[in-house]
Amino acid sequence: MRQMKRRTFSKIATDGISEIDYKDLEILSEYVSETGKIVPSRITGTSAKAQRQLSKAIKRARFLALVPYCDSHRD
Amino acid sequence: MRHYEIVFLVHPDQSAQVQAMIDRYREIIKAATGTIHRLEDWGRRQLAFPINKVHKAHYVMLNIECTKETLDEIENGFRFNDAVLRHLTLSKKHAITEPSSLARTSGETDSSKTSDDEESDQEVVDDVIKSEVATEINPKPAED
Repeated sequence: MRQMKRRTFSKIATDGISEIDYKDLEILSEYVSETGKIVPSRITGTSAKAQRQLSKAIKRARFLALVPYCDSHRD
Repeated sequence: MRHYEIVFLVHPDQSAQVQAMIDRYREIIKAATGTIHRLEDWGRRQLAFPINKVHKAHYVMLNIECTKETLDEIENGFRFNDAVLRHLTLSKKHAITEPSSLARTSGETDSSKTSDDEESDQEVVDDVIKSEVATEINPKPAED
């Protein structure tokens, strides 16, 4: 585990966003890796509740093709 | 009555029919004394991955308050309509009327050009923010 990010407070906590919406693509994209995977909360420092909401929002956004599932989608 | 949020994607070739579809749903909802709290047409957007071999789709979002029967009728319409690629219905606790962030961005960019500009901005933001995260997850060579 990296020491660097152990104490980060996530942007969600600092901004005080009450509910994470699948339409807030800017917020969602911060919690998704380069390859399109959802970043674990131990790295981003999000609370458990926020991470669950985030995960659900990202999965909904993926279903609606607002966010990719991976970085190598082929036709 | 319950509040629902519905998003549906229409095949880009049938973009012209979208207005007729919206009017039809409006009639269905009005007939059942429901209300439309928010209706947003995000226009043609670039998809994150191809669906049925198309790369763009016409997005429409609406927040409605209606009965279960009305919702079933609308969803039935989606099921047997070939122009609708995907749809998502969510139940909400309250009515939402303020415009979403996606409506604002789609209004700024021209819908014919769609989201090429949006996506490049997003990529820049992604690069800047995720440079730290990228070292933890599999380090990959710089993306295009």
